[in-house]
Amino acid sequence: MTISRWLKTTAMSAVLVGAGVMAGPAVAQDTLIIGYAGGHTGYLAPYDQSSLKGVQLAIEEINAAGGIGGNMPIELIVKDTRSDTAQAQVAAQELVDEGVHVMIVSCDVDPAVASGVVAQAAEIPAVSSCASTPTLPAAVGPYMFSNYTADNLQAAVLAEYAREQGYNNAYVLLSRDTPYTEKLPEYFSEAFGNMGGNVVMTGEYTMGQQDFSAEVTNITGLDPQPDVIMTSAYEPDFPAFIKQLRAAGIDTPVLGSDGIDSPTTFSLGDVSEGVVFSNAGFPSPGSSLEAYETAYEAKYGEPNDTIFTATGYDIIKVVAAAVEQAGSTDGAAIRDAWDNLEDVQVATGTMTYKGQERVPVRVVALNRVSDGLREHVGDYSPDPSQIPAP
Amino acid sequence: MDILVQQTVNALSLGGTYALLALGLAMVFSVLGLINFAHGDLMTITGYGMFFCIVAGLPFPVAVIVGILAAVFAAVLMERIAFRPVRDASTATMLLTSFAVSTILHMLFQNLISARPRPIPIPSMFAGAIDILGFDIGAIQAISICATALLLFALTMFLRRSMLGIAMRAASLDFPTTRLMGINANAVISTAFAISGLLAGVAGVLWLAQRGSVDPLMGFLPVLKAFIAVVLGGLGSLSGAVVGGLVLGIIEVGLRAFLPEELLPFRESIALSLVIILLLIRPEGLLGRKEAIR
Repeated sequence: MTISRWLKTTAMSAVLVGAGVMAGPAVAQDTLIIGYAGGHTGYLAPYDQSSLKGVQLAIEEINAAGGIGGNMPIELIVKDTRSDTAQAQVAAQELVDEGVHVMIVSCDVDPAVASGVVAQAAEIPAVSSCASTPTLPAAVGPYMFSNYTADNLQAAVLAEYAREQGYNNAYVLLSRDTPYTEKLPEYFSEAFGNMGGNVVMTGEYTMGQQDFSAEVTNITGLDPQPDVIMTSAYEPDFPAFIKQLRAAGIDTPVLGSDGIDSPTTFSLGDVSEGVVFSNAGFPSPGSSLEAYETAYEAKYGEPNDTIFTATGYDIIKVVAAAVEQAGSTDGAAIRDAWDNLEDVQVATGTMTYKGQERVPVRVVALNRVSDGLREHVGDYSPDPSQIPAP
Repeated sequence: MDILVQQTVNALSLGGTYALLALGLAMVFSVLGLINFAHGDLMTITGYGMFFCIVAGLPFPVAVIVGILAAVFAAVLMERIAFRPVRDASTATMLLTSFAVSTILHMLFQNLISARPRPIPIPSMFAGAIDILGFDIGAIQAISICATALLLFALTMFLRRSMLGIAMRAASLDFPTTRLMGINANAVISTAFAISGLLAGVAGVLWLAQRGSVDPLMGFLPVLKAFIAVVLGGLGSLSGAVVGGLVLGIIEVGLRAFLPEELLPFRESIALSLVIILLLIRPEGLLGRKEAIR
């Protein structure tokens, strides 16, 4: 909204945030350069812009304390991929040419892979801001890491909760337009089935479809009626779906995933009341996330309204831990240290990479929409045997 | 049987929204020969108009009116700033201009407002269902169908009875001759854009009432659907646009409702194939004229 923000975004590709020094080819050895090739405009902007805010906050904090280990400041170079997969590759190459030591890439799998293969070829560790497809790191290679809660982990938590509530029959709604909207519900179906539940019907939608009346009418005709409806649909599909569901008089409980953790969900009124969804953390009193939210508000002058800023902050904490362990800015050394990280303290809790094939284990929080606010249901860490294989 | 009636209502409601949008596209096309790809962004403008009204604490009906007026105003402004200077250029130039307008608007929304969706709380009266002859008709769906019917009726009256309306119909048949008869081209074109803005605004309100939020790229999908509807109905035919919108709605809802579960992944391609088959049978569109302007 503000002019400064506009200028910042427009000049994004040229702006250096963090240490505030122009990055020339000649950079002192004792500075860690992180490149961020993200969709800061286009369809990924809601996520990558948010992640960037958390990234900036973490770098500012670390640099204020003298840098990683007290003596290695971090410098950030931001490139806008315009949410375009081809541009994601170009931006990654530019970052490699500018000599970055670590690369942060987009929230979505396709651009993340496009950037990731460039980093992989240059043996630079790369991490996706919030892509949640568990097969992403394996698809790229040993230098690619995930940061966000994996779809299969999140799905297992939702299934565990559903069974805990005594739900036996589920209706699952998915869209084959993205891996997130397709695989997460499928992992849920698998986990729910393994835990003794029964999926009555799987509906499909097209992202951006404004009308869900056909699907809703089908639900009314189901026998047996589902005890629970699960979907990973997010805006604008989720509000449209649940509005029409409730309008048709179906009051079956609805489970959603972190995609719906947004102001819109909380402004839907009665319609979204009672919806339970998973996300990467809940700022309970005394938690690290609560402290993070305070720091966020102090820096940006407005309360944090999405978990994606906190998970962006987490990236830098993990990178800092890996670099400190490695004791150098060498790509291979950072990669090996990163792969062995255990219980790194981050904003949303702790993260462990050791023995996880570069997909982190982290806590999944369940929240309920209650009077237009987020209510904490609990933090879940499911039994690994219950998590569907990617 | 119940489900059949219910799905028919669903199809009419969705098709009606498509029809409103398609009609807006067709109005502009018939007088200017331009497919305005920024048409969907007029819906987005309606959304932001409503969002800012609600943030300012204005009541919902006021927000709706301001939102629709914003779309009308933006449509007229769009014509004045972007399309009038290239009016005599080739069709391709105008088409590219409309893409440019659309892209510029996306960038402005993303950078000046927010890349993230902005919530628009919809009063609960729009969330419920109305019982008509034992069928639960969603309030939004009932409103969609009524609004579409009312607007179509008003527009027909306007085109038949008013001077400007008659001039527009004449212009859609043969613009050069219409101008020779002393009709002001600017007035006709501005009116066409104003009406297209009004239709997009109303469609925008109906669309937003379903999804509860506005985001910068919201207009893209609807304009695509409207474009398919216009081609299906017959480029250059206003009634064709309406029929095209309704048929598209019926095809989409019909496939989603009645396809077996294992065929569901193919519903979009089946829908588009059906559209292509219809066009193979009637290349000029369902209600298109053989001599329609291409």
